[in-house]
Amino acid sequence: MSFFGFDPTAPQQQSHPQQHQHQQQQRSQHQQQRSQQPLDFEDTYKGYGDYQAEDEDFLNDETFGNNVELGNNFDFGHSQQQQQQPQVGQPPAAPVPHRSYVAAAASGTSQQAHMDAAVDLRPMESLWNPNSGAAANTAGPTGDQAEQPRVLSMEEIERNQRQMQMHPPPPPPQGYPAMQGYPMPPGNFMPPPGQNYPMMAPPPQQQQQHQQFQQMRPVFNQPNYMGYPGNAPPPHHQPQQPHQPQKQQMVAPQMQFPPQQQQQQQPVQQAPEQQAPHEQQLASQVAMPQMDRSSSSLSQSSNERDNFKGHPRQPHQRQPRNREPLTPEEQKRLEVRHAKVEKILKHSGLMTPRDKDFITRYQLSQIVTEDPYNEDFYFQVYKIIQRGGVVGESNKGLIARAYLEHSGHRLGGRYKRADIALQRMQSQVEKAVTVAKERPLRKQEKEQSRENSNTEGSNSAGVSSAGQSNDNRDGVLGKISSSLNSKAPRRQLQIPTSNKTLLNSLLVNDEHATAAKPTNPDALMEVTESLGNVELSQTARVRRRSSYAFTSVDQSSVLSRSGGRKFVLSLIETVYEEVLELEANLRSGKPIDNKKLWEALHINDELYEVCPFISMLSFDKGVKIMPRIFNFLEKDQKLKLLQTFFSELSHLNIIIISSYKTNPEPTESQLKQIDIFQTVFLKIIVSFLSSSSNFIEIMGLLLHLIKNNNVSFISTSKIGLNLITVLISRAALIRQDTNRSNMLSSPEISTWNEIYDKLFTALESKLAAVFPPKEYIQKVTSVHLKGHVAPGATPQHYDQAYIWQFLASLALSGKLNHQRIIIDEVRDQIFGTINEAEQLKETAKTPTESVDDLVYRREKLYQDLNLFLNVMGLVSRDGEISELK
Amino acid sequence: MLFFSFFKTLVDQEVVVQLKNDIELKGTLQSVDQFLNLKLDNISCTDEEKYPHLVSVRNIFIRGSTVRYVYLNKNMVDTNLLQDATRREAMSERK
Repeated sequence: MSFFGFDPTAPQQQSHPQQHQHQQQQRSQHQQQRSQQPLDFEDTYKGYGDYQAEDEDFLNDETFGNNVELGNNFDFGHSQQQQQQPQVGQPPAAPVPHRSYVAAAASGTSQQAHMDAAVDLRPMESLWNPNSGAAANTAGPTGDQAEQPRVLSMEEIERNQRQMQMHPPPPPPQGYPAMQGYPMPPGNFMPPPGQNYPMMAPPPQQQQQHQQFQQMRPVFNQPNYMGYPGNAPPPHHQPQQPHQPQKQQMVAPQMQFPPQQQQQQQPVQQAPEQQAPHEQQLASQVAMPQMDRSSSSLSQSSNERDNFKGHPRQPHQRQPRNREPLTPEEQKRLEVRHAKVEKILKHSGLMTPRDKDFITRYQLSQIVTEDPYNEDFYFQVYKIIQRGGVVGESNKGLIARAYLEHSGHRLGGRYKRADIALQRMQSQVEKAVTVAKERPLRKQEKEQSRENSNTEGSNSAGVSSAGQSNDNRDGVLGKISSSLNSKAPRRQLQIPTSNKTLLNSLLVNDEHATAAKPTNPDALMEVTESLGNVELSQTARVRRRSSYAFTSVDQSSVLSRSGGRKFVLSLIETVYEEVLELEANLRSGKPIDNKKLWEALHINDELYEVCPFISMLSFDKGVKIMPRIFNFLEKDQKLKLLQTFFSELSHLNIIIISSYKTNPEPTESQLKQIDIFQTVFLKIIVSFLSSSSNFIEIMGLLLHLIKNNNVSFISTSKIGLNLITVLISRAALIRQDTNRSNMLSSPEISTWNEIYDKLFTALESKLAAVFPPKEYIQKVTSVHLKGHVAPGATPQHYDQAYIWQFLASLALSGKLNHQRIIIDEVRDQIFGTINEAEQLKETAKTPTESVDDLVYRREKLYQDLNLFLNVMGLVSRDGEISELK
Repeated sequence: MLFFSFFKTLVDQEVVVQLKNDIELKGTLQSVDQFLNLKLDNISCTDEEKYPHLVSVRNIFIRGSTVRYVYLNKNMVDTNLLQDATRREAMSERK
């Protein structure tokens, strides 16, 4: 016995070319002796010893089998057959049984497969066929008698080895006649008396079979996956069941073992072979020797195939009706079925449930996480959003279910016993989590990153450190790496992060230095609570000039004044991170501290001319995060934020984009941006104002707006106008409310009047300017049209409702003289709107516009207009303005 | 883990997978694992003229490394959530 199937006792191996090289000198000396003498070491030495011995090499036999050639990849199912084939022509001199565990396992499985079915669904023979004896005689498989003893148990092989050591290899002819498939005396299956190779004798045979029976259990359990024995029979074994009765019948009359032994232990398949009738034996032996020689250690399953192909007369599956010759069709079908069965059985039984358990656990450990909301964030949250919140279901349960659902473990029917399997699987996952926990991942990663920062992005560092720690697992499950897993896959690019952040901070500092102009921190700007103080500060005055607004038209200049584009973008990311952190805390019930978030917002930052927070809002993602920020802010923080927001409205990119003055030709994407801002940010402001702010606070915000901005410019933009509308309409509502209960103090009212006067003065004589010019309207509609090319979509019309809303709320808060001024200024627009509506009535309908559509538009125009007119007790209808009754 | 997490949400959805050998397969995503191996069910090949051998195939296991693109329907993705998930991933890597 030696490594890899090298057989020191086999003379025919001399002709092996490799050996040739190694042994040229010795060869001449030993040539003559070789034929009669036992081989000695020098003869057969292949030079493998030149390689350094490795640990546990002595186990190689057990691992690989002892008759496998070097340099071959293992095909556990068929390697023997393939490798042995070339030796067909060689004399069958080697007496050493070419048994490998591999082959034994393979043949074992095929037997087990039969057993599986047999145990479960074996009918009583006597019930089925009283003439089975005859059937067996005529149809019993032939010539395979040599097969049976080939499968050896561990004990047998050990015994053989011991005997081999004691007795030098015996002369070939006496060896194992039966095993070699030589013709032997009919009926005499036993080796000649006096032979001391017990493997041929019945007792070990039984033992062996018994062992196989035990081996069988894993296979039998396999479909249950986790070792629930005895569930429904595995589906892929079912095709075999029909054969069983016949086989049993064939076997029964010639039973040599005690019946109960037969019942339990005798692999059905082997029995007929062993007890094959003599005449059949003789007949088949003509064909057998060649095959047997070539496959002295053939696995049974491959043997079956060989028999089947080479000797169509012999298949043991043959059934009583086979007395009539098989039709080609049947034969073909049998062949196909057989091939299928064999394919299934090829590798079955190689792994015990424990093996599978281990591998499953390992695979799962790569998938499961302790912290699903961190590492599996998208999936978890997505599922919650989709299902409307299945929070109760744990990550582990989900994984177990998914695994069961998709890994094809049917458990004898997809739904049968699924809950037990699920429980079982969940406990698997628990274990897997433990494995994952034990993985020294964190530590390694840290090491890795440290190394990387030292070596500046060299890949090798990470790989080598990962490689060392996994040596123990390598080879068992292929290449497994605990640090390079799905959570931390191999990087294509490795950027030394620590250096980068350093660089970044340097960069930012640099930007700070260049961007931070010496500004005059005017105390007045921050005094908001002093309501009476409407005096304009120096900077505020500058800001109010209309020319100043245009300095903010260029977005990049605004950005640079608030720290630079990069700085703003990184700030947004910081804000996101803080919000995510806070949200994670919220989920896990940890206390929430928004200090860092507040700092990241840079609300009170005096360092920059334009508050970075305002610049954040010029990016869509900065706008989108706002509602989530608001979830974590205290009320006074929100107020502060809004104060800053209204103070710096002129710098707000969205105002500039949405103003027809600064952006007469808005693009589609800009219009989208406006939409987003409106839906996201305006909503926040409205909800804040309506839910938690009082009159004074609203006045304060309005004051901030008027003090620091050019109101007439802001009013030319849709967003700006909306913002003003929100403030004054809310104030008007509160005033109406409190009028009834007299809650407003007179100073409050007087302050409000003062502020309103300020606002009105700023807007006076420019009220008509809130209406965008025709060109702008056309442009916007055309862009909208381009965006919605879908046929059938109703053509968009510029919705002026927001303007009338503004005028309405402005008029609502004003006195009669204010209202008169407003009407004076927008008279043209009022009549223009009425005209437009009336024209719509008269226009013959165009193919693109249905009557309904025209009616709707007309109604809409009147509705919007009346919103404003109603405030003054007027109403317009059918081209006329009348008093509201 | 992000991509694994993402593809898990596509299970039971219909996707088109383009392989690196230009074969395009449409099918229902049955499962995905951490190597982004994909199992597709009810597949159909978009170019059956060219790859007739796939006509009779019903389901398929695709090794993740052979995939070039997975085409998705737009509404299968929650982009905002994906952005957040990406940020989280980046955050956890920095830690």
